[in-house]
Amino acid sequence: MEEKKGGVSPEQPSDHELALDDERRVKVLSPGALVAKRFFRNRLAMVGLIILVCMFLFSFLGGAIIPYKENQIFEGYEEVVSDFAGATLNSDYRFYETESGIIPSGARTSLILAVNNGEMTYTSGDQTYSLTELGNDSWIISGTTPVADVNKLAGRYIITSDEIEVTNALTAAFTAAADAGETSFELDGVAYTISGSNRTFTISSMMELGVASKLVVEGEGLTYEFQKAALTAMGAKENSFTAEGTTYTLEYDGGSAIASAGSDVVALLSEYAVQGVENGTVISAELRSAIVEAIEEGQNSFTFTDENGTEVEYELKRENNRYTIRTATQSKLIQTYLAPSWEHWLGTDGAGMDILTRLMYGGRISLIIGFVVVILETIIGVVLGGLAGYFGKWVDMVIMRIVDVFYCIPTWPILIIFGSIMDSYQIGPKVRIYFMMIILAVLGWPFITRIVRGQILSLREQEFMVAAEATGISVSRRVFKHLVPNVIPQLIVQCTMALGGIILTESTMSFLGIGVKFPYASWGNIISSVSNVFVMTNYWYCWIPAGFLILITVLGFNFVGDGLRDAFDPKMKR
Amino acid sequence: MRKFIVKRLVISVFILFFVALIMYTIMRCIPTSFVEAKARQLSQLPGAKSYEEWLAQLNATYHLDTTIIQGYFMWLWDAVRGHFGDSWYWNVPVLTEFKNSIWYSFALGAISFVLQIVIAIPLGILAARKQYGMADYIITVVALVGISLPTFFFATILKYIFSIKLGWLDLYGMVGRYYYQLSTFGKILDLGRHFIMPVATLVIISVGSLMRYTRTNMLEVLNADYIRTARAKGLPEKTVINKHAFRNTLIPIVTLLGGSLPGLFSGAMITETLYQIEGIGYVSYQAMINGDIPFYMFYSCFLAVLTLLGMLIADIMYAVVDPRVRFD
Repeated sequence: MEEKKGGVSPEQPSDHELALDDERRVKVLSPGALVAKRFFRNRLAMVGLIILVCMFLFSFLGGAIIPYKENQIFEGYEEVVSDFAGATLNSDYRFYETESGIIPSGARTSLILAVNNGEMTYTSGDQTYSLTELGNDSWIISGTTPVADVNKLAGRYIITSDEIEVTNALTAAFTAAADAGETSFELDGVAYTISGSNRTFTISSMMELGVASKLVVEGEGLTYEFQKAALTAMGAKENSFTAEGTTYTLEYDGGSAIASAGSDVVALLSEYAVQGVENGTVISAELRSAIVEAIEEGQNSFTFTDENGTEVEYELKRENNRYTIRTATQSKLIQTYLAPSWEHWLGTDGAGMDILTRLMYGGRISLIIGFVVVILETIIGVVLGGLAGYFGKWVDMVIMRIVDVFYCIPTWPILIIFGSIMDSYQIGPKVRIYFMMIILAVLGWPFITRIVRGQILSLREQEFMVAAEATGISVSRRVFKHLVPNVIPQLIVQCTMALGGIILTESTMSFLGIGVKFPYASWGNIISSVSNVFVMTNYWYCWIPAGFLILITVLGFNFVGDGLRDAFDPKMKR
Repeated sequence: MRKFIVKRLVISVFILFFVALIMYTIMRCIPTSFVEAKARQLSQLPGAKSYEEWLAQLNATYHLDTTIIQGYFMWLWDAVRGHFGDSWYWNVPVLTEFKNSIWYSFALGAISFVLQIVIAIPLGILAARKQYGMADYIITVVALVGISLPTFFFATILKYIFSIKLGWLDLYGMVGRYYYQLSTFGKILDLGRHFIMPVATLVIISVGSLMRYTRTNMLEVLNADYIRTARAKGLPEKTVINKHAFRNTLIPIVTLLGGSLPGLFSGAMITETLYQIEGIGYVSYQAMINGDIPFYMFYSCFLAVLTLLGMLIADIMYAVVDPRVRFD
């Protein structure tokens, strides 16, 4: 029918008598062009071709265009009410040590005993400590070391010492202090205590080790000098103090005090220890004072305006002497199962990845696997089928029995057991894909061998093969140059259909979790999220697009395969 | 005829021998560390045998301490006598588990097989008669869509529509929640209700190829000379189609269907797993995904036997149906 259309109808009158086989009479089409013409007339085949072109563009071009990466995880900030800080009523002594002073734990426990007994000096270990009261249960702790012995002879003090040089100044200072009945004196910046009575005394040098206090001094980067000065000032109920050359003002509020330099709040002195729940949480002194104030006033919640001027709501929860401060904080969260939006056209999946991007990359993998497997199958199938068909006899027998054996090997048990083995070896996801291709090809080649052999069996009896043999062409050339090309039409049809089948198998494997594994996307493993019924019910965009893509891709291959078969073999046309 | 069958049987046994050899070799390629780890894992299950016992049993069943060929023959001798060992996953003999599950698979397969025939053959013939007509296009597209549908996707869509959106059927399982309180008739109905979606899935997925096969064969028959003769004789179109064409179309179709009869026992692995129908497919999937080697060996040999049987039946059917075929 098609052939007629191109030509001039014989009934039509013409100027010249044209020969029947004149080129102007009959529009001659090559066999290939005929096939192409028939193919392009087939509507279903064209639909299939368009689908396939779209899928290739989608997978290969789309993956290159889209700004996201295959494994990019999207994170966002969301407000979550969580524990922000904890506050505890402090009932123990806290120790603020000088830079060089170390108060051993024995000395720390003995301090409580000494304070309770009202002793101003106590001994712990080999060391004697002396206490100086600051008020408000705060004490300066100094370690004392005996340095000199003093004997009083006839109203004169004779100082003997191994450790320090006995100077006139020392004697004079001691004499002055002893005569005045004082127990300490200072010389050249070193404090000394005097112990003993009547005639024998001991001079001990004092070294300040730190301050013990039941008050908590909290702020950022506080020095010992500041802490001591603040505690001293608070003990003395003074309104200002000086530390490190800066003057700070103290503002009292119930049992706590706020130390500030100018308008900056530097530290808070209170009975409560406030700590962030997470390490590294910075709690400003203002916020601390707000928390302490709220605790002291017994409030359940309060609002605090931070340095940026935003108001933040805090909740307080009490549990004995512990308070938990909760607030809505900005937490970094992986955005899982986001609904489709402008940023994510098909939303995000359970791992927070963009589904559209995953679909594009998954398409690449599915198509590449399909093509590689079909090419491998074709190579094995054509070689073995060609040999079997051409040589016949025992070669044919052996190869066809091998085909029968492979034909009988059940596909799924093998695939599953291989998946299971690869799991137990923890084979990397990339190597896994290669193994998958090989296994699928090894299991799939027999059908191609059958087709090739069948075709060759009928072709080799034809005249052109006799001619080829008569011209003395070598066997391999006869098989692969003259026989195999004649098989190609059939082969193309079957391979196109097989491609769809391989994509189905691959996606089923990935769906079952024995195929392409997580970091890589595949249409099958995108759908596997439906094994969670919650996802299936609530997030249709996680699985319906992927399934639809598999369906239309396989459909495209089948349409094209079908169209090619009709085009190559027009017998079926009436 | 008898000579032919005997010859085919001998070849089948020969093929089966090599298929089993390949399966056994693959199993032996799994390193012993895998088996040992498996045995250790198995022995830690509550109430399980000890590690040594499992390992000893594995060695005894699979002769892992011998060479592959030697071990294969020893395994084969056991298998021929029906000793397939204990399933690692189900903790019972493989054959017991097989007997418990096979009939569910058969029921599922048989129902969908009958439905397929009832749907596919008339539609295939219709498509061939109206080639390139509207009906042909629709049937071809529907058939190809069925072939192209991934089972798991279609099953999920069915579940989504009928279980989740409409709430008519249960998501999985073979029986409902109140199964044991129902009367016998109620129990059958309940079981049937749970088979609706699996059967629908199987039919839609596999009806396409039979439909296409019928269409192709019918087209071939309709182009034959005897049909032209029948038409030329002036026979009514009805007689031409129903008597002359249909009978001849049946030859390849009956051959194909006869060949797929053993397949009814093979179980639909994916469908059964998705709907948790406890047929052989589901049972063996669960076992194999957990690396259950005894079950793997049994099930793959079983499938190979079914395939060979199918091929044999197809050959015999071909001769039985078509009187022109004679065996030499």
